[in-house]
Amino acid sequence: MAAPLRQLSRSQAAWPAWLLGLLVVLPLVWVSWAAVAQGLDVSAWRSLFDDPQWVPAMLLSLWTGLLSTALAAGLAAWLLAGSFPGPAWNRLLRLLSPMLAVPHASFAIGLLFLIAPSGWLLRLLSPWATGLQEPPPWPTSQDPWGLGLVLVLVAKEVPFLLWTAAGQLQRPELARRWAQELQLAASMGYSSRQAWWRVLWPQLWPRMWGPLLAVLAYGLTVVDMALLVGPASPPTLSVLAWTWLNDADPAWQRQGVAAAWLLALMIAVTAALLWKLAGLVRWRHHWSAGDRGVLRQTTLAAGRMPAAAYPLLGLYLAVMLALLLGSMAGVWPFPDLWPHSFSLEAWGSVLASVGTVWTSLLLAFGASLSALLWSLAWLEWAPRAWDDALRRLLYLPLLLPSVLWVAGLHSLTLHWGMDAHWSGLWLAHALACLPYVLLTLGPAYLGFDARNAQLVASLGHGRWTMLARVKWPLLKASIASSFAVGFAVSVAQYLPTLYVGGGRFSTVTTEAVALASGGQRAIGAAYAWLQWLLPVLVFALAAWAGRPRRFRRRVRGMV
Amino acid sequence: MSLELRVNHLRVGGRPLLRDLSILVPAGAVHTVMGASGSGKSSLLAAVAGTLEPGFDFDGQITLDGRRIDALPTQARQVGLLFQEDLLFAHMTVRENLLFAVPPGPRAGREARVAQALVDLELPGYAHADPATLSGGQRSRVALMRALLAQPRALLLDEPFSRLDAELRVRMRALVFQQVRERGIPALLVTHDENDIADARQLTPLTPAEPDA
Repeated sequence: MAAPLRQLSRSQAAWPAWLLGLLVVLPLVWVSWAAVAQGLDVSAWRSLFDDPQWVPAMLLSLWTGLLSTALAAGLAAWLLAGSFPGPAWNRLLRLLSPMLAVPHASFAIGLLFLIAPSGWLLRLLSPWATGLQEPPPWPTSQDPWGLGLVLVLVAKEVPFLLWTAAGQLQRPELARRWAQELQLAASMGYSSRQAWWRVLWPQLWPRMWGPLLAVLAYGLTVVDMALLVGPASPPTLSVLAWTWLNDADPAWQRQGVAAAWLLALMIAVTAALLWKLAGLVRWRHHWSAGDRGVLRQTTLAAGRMPAAAYPLLGLYLAVMLALLLGSMAGVWPFPDLWPHSFSLEAWGSVLASVGTVWTSLLLAFGASLSALLWSLAWLEWAPRAWDDALRRLLYLPLLLPSVLWVAGLHSLTLHWGMDAHWSGLWLAHALACLPYVLLTLGPAYLGFDARNAQLVASLGHGRWTMLARVKWPLLKASIASSFAVGFAVSVAQYLPTLYVGGGRFSTVTTEAVALASGGQRAIGAAYAWLQWLLPVLVFALAAWAGRPRRFRRRVRGMV
Repeated sequence: MSLELRVNHLRVGGRPLLRDLSILVPAGAVHTVMGASGSGKSSLLAAVAGTLEPGFDFDGQITLDGRRIDALPTQARQVGLLFQEDLLFAHMTVRENLLFAVPPGPRAGREARVAQALVDLELPGYAHADPATLSGGQRSRVALMRALLAQPRALLLDEPFSRLDAELRVRMRALVFQQVRERGIPALLVTHDENDIADARQLTPLTPAEPDA
């Protein structure tokens, strides 16, 4: 009796899941295929390799991408080693959300106000230490070695890596086990850092392989931040590919696609090398070599936050402050630390272009909402095996070079008649939000205790009642925060907005990057602030909407 | 060689857990602390090991072999831990797990001690095995041996038998008690199972502490 019933419900569940899957798999596969097809042009490859720029550009990309990934992973691991488990880790976690909320482009623009020859850093040191009376002709804002780009990447990726590590370390059964394993190592005489590197890190990092790979891919192929703080001549390969892709001549565009494929190849090769490096048998010998490390603490641990957290936090504060000041500065002669006058002119012109703000808001709202609705339906109706299969496909947009992704996306919107149309833009943004929304919502949604549903069913209620009255209300915090994550991702989109939108749509992000890299720093800064403010407001709204229900105090006299 | 505990009070967030408790564990003996969950028995072990979480307030003295250890960090206390779960490190083989515990020294000597331990465990062919492929009983034995290879001066046992089935439990108890006797180190065992009591003369039943007056 039970078996046929189960079969019936499975076949009922199958067709919505099919439909949902198709809805996402079709464009994903189409985009990927279009990218492959465009990369098969031999003449484009030949002209790429004939171009003298590709070798220095590729080396620069490798240098900035690998260095930033190594530094970000090392710093994140070092911060973790100094704080988990304990109250310091919880303090560090609370600092993560404000850092994560700063969009990449905003951060890069803010950093320009710090490190430019006329930036705050040199004003702070001038003239008393440097003797400078006017901005020096140093290439500090777009240094040819890509150090500024590396700094921005590291500062942005460390909070991201810590956040993904937190996803593992917050799981109660794992956190408890690992905390006990560290105690065990301590009881054998290992200093806490030694114990961390030998016991916890080798178990943690394979679980973070996905995010680490995303960080590597991003570092190797980033465009918007490289346009702002990256080297200019030669630029990184991704910037070169983007420039070619935007050329009116189709031959140049094809060369851009070939360069984008070269970037994809670089990701694959460096990832494979890192995988090999991480699997070296040397590490295994090191883990059990017995060296206990130097025991610095002589009394019980106090649980302080590792010192490296403060410079990182300070950098974020300085960047946001410089951004705000930069958007309001009037007359500001060089060595002075503070502007002589303030002006709201930049903010006035931002307010005047209210259409740009509305485009950003509506686009982000629509894209994130559709990604959320799809994710809810998918997690509810799709079988787990399908979900696992789809997730592998969903990581594609995170791992492919963004230049390659937009080239494929553009071909899709051309074929479907959505090019330079709001529907194409919506599709581009929704596909960009989707992996993040699903990744944020997934753990809580799949971890929901299935016995709740059985209980509600035993009380005679149907599935929709269960969802609307029990499951979704109980999961509202996760639902709200995943919407906010999707919103933030959409607001920060740069390449797809420009390329799929055919340049006809401007958002706060495209305006911020265009103005700041075009020399109109004040207005760029104002847009960059807005680019940060919009997602932060939505995060705050999501926190408010997802707050736990407050019950009225117990009535006196009742037990 | 003995372990001496003197607890004036142990509180968590101001709430008293234990008060006025004295335990003296002679060398080679297993002293059992019995209590229901929430009676503070695991916190007592954490106080001895130096792994009390923030929020706990311990006032008392812990003396191991005549030396005060209650102000020392866990690393310097030289007490071995055995938890409810075997906690074999999942990224290391059986051999590497054991090698991890052996104090630093010449490589050949460390390897020899691990090889001998594997023989003592009757697991000589399992050196390069993934701990996850071992049976529950084998894992427990490896975990015990790992704790002992670090040459602790005392052993703390936090319900180490509760996850084993009835037959294994009997054998594991016998093995632990025998090892403690042979090595002549004091051991403190917390449990809620009366069958775990090694010696009725070495028994402290815990009753929930009354709130401070």
